Amino acid sequence: MLADWWQYDFLRYTLFSGILIGLICPLLGTFLIVRRLSMMADGLSHVTLSGVAAGMLVSKKIAFFSAVNPLFFGMLFAVIGSLFIERLRKVYKAYQDLAIPIILSTGLGLFTVLISVADGFNADLYSYLFGKIVTVSIEDLYALVGVAVVVLGTVFLIYKELFAVSFDEEFARVSGVARRSINLWFMVLVALTIAASMRIVGVLLISALITLPVAASLQIARSFRQTIFFSILFAEISVLSGLYFAYLFDWASGGTIVLMAVLIMLIVLGVKKLRAIMR
Amino acid sequence: MEPTTQGVPVVKLSGVSFQYDDKVVLDGVEFSLERGEFVGIVGPNGSGKSTLMKLILGLLPPSKGKVELFGQPLSKFREWNRIGYVAQQVAHGAGGFPATVQEVVASGLVGKVGLFRRLNAKHHESVRAAVERVGLTDKLNQRIGSLSGGQLQRVFIARALVAEPELLILDEPTVGVDQESIEQFYSLLRSLKEENGLTMMIVSHDVGVMSQWVTKVACVQKKIHFHGTAHEFEHNQEKIMQSMYGDSVRLLSHHH
Repeated sequence: MLADWWQYDFLRYTLFSGILIGLICPLLGTFLIVRRLSMMADGLSHVTLSGVAAGMLVSKKIAFFSAVNPLFFGMLFAVIGSLFIERLRKVYKAYQDLAIPIILSTGLGLFTVLISVADGFNADLYSYLFGKIVTVSIEDLYALVGVAVVVLGTVFLIYKELFAVSFDEEFARVSGVARRSINLWFMVLVALTIAASMRIVGVLLISALITLPVAASLQIARSFRQTIFFSILFAEISVLSGLYFAYLFDWASGGTIVLMAVLIMLIVLGVKKLRAIMR
Repeated sequence: MEPTTQGVPVVKLSGVSFQYDDKVVLDGVEFSLERGEFVGIVGPNGSGKSTLMKLILGLLPPSKGKVELFGQPLSKFREWNRIGYVAQQVAHGAGGFPATVQEVVASGLVGKVGLFRRLNAKHHESVRAAVERVGLTDKLNQRIGSLSGGQLQRVFIARALVAEPELLILDEPTVGVDQESIEQFYSLLRSLKEENGLTMMIVSHDVGVMSQWVTKVACVQKKIHFHGTAHEFEHNQEKIMQSMYGDSVRLLSHHH
């Protein structure tokens, strides 16, 4: 069974995509969670979904777009959505999390309308919703590699700014950090990451991969760097074991990965509790 | 110390007003802070003392008037690493954040080091020095969640000190800090002023403790009602309170 992963192109693409997703989702997720913006991923994933539906609709109706991967429409919508969230957060300063349900319901509303306009879609849509191994193409992989390079490069270059803004936005501002531009760029990266990851885990489960490994990591990490390290470690274990079992038993890959992440979180909580009792 | 700013007030406010909606918070404030001073800003809740601080830090724009830092108008001022800021602790809720003392203090260098640059060995050395200055060397690699309120406040002082500012601004720094640590805290501030020559500005509602440590006091209630030495303040306290609170002065004596 393991040899299959090298023999078939689509499995290899899936494996590489999975490894990249397991790297960038928890990396951005750590910053999102400590800023209490974990629901942001949910909001943006629904906007991405509406983008994918729009992409499918135009490729069905307009010949010119028929060759365009709906994923790129998803990315476009997600980026617009992220800019919109930043705007809303400014308008509703005292109710910053209000931006998320607004964006989420807008995305879902748009999605359902687009489906009804298109008179339903083929089974391909299912893979965007829940993630499916066989649908990963080389084009999807390239898009993901591009996003991953930008995400990793950004975190490497402006780690201290991201940390400062996440830990204490007011202090960062007083220190002369361009916090608006940093917030905006960060949200764009989250949007791109979500859009690029959806082929594997699916839009509905992507926020789980952004939050669950970080939730487990927060329990045991002794520093912020360790929080990032453990969340990536847990995410990679979830992705690799999840993909393996999904292929072995023909389960939905997204769901299997998420269940693995839940399992890891429960194990971490259990071990921590056990050690507290033993002490 | 640059010769061009010698003799120029560190902070200068001329005719500064601030209002939001219809509420006038500050009305024509004149205020200046000279190099080496340690001024305490006092006033009741809602008197505008925190607003005053936010205007100086550029966190709020004045509705009217002019704010100058180190002789430069606020709109042109870019040398933010000359100013260290310690915010009210309750505003943080930072205890649960998964970071070590080292990481938090190092974040104080963010403006000084500059975009796209990473911390080098010298920066890490200055982080260690700042942590030692506030007496938390043994906690350097601990998560901030394991610290007491007083210790956490000293972490924030170290974060403000690490970039070697000339002016330190503190907003209600003793809220949520136990009585014993408050004394320690003020003596740390005093030694920072005396040994490092820092100019300091502290906002506090706890007039009693603060006025023993500062060199000057400014009383705020929409305007600056008094601005003089701590000694003068102690001797004229009743008169100042009368002018600030008017009829509601009885309310205040209830607090004492």
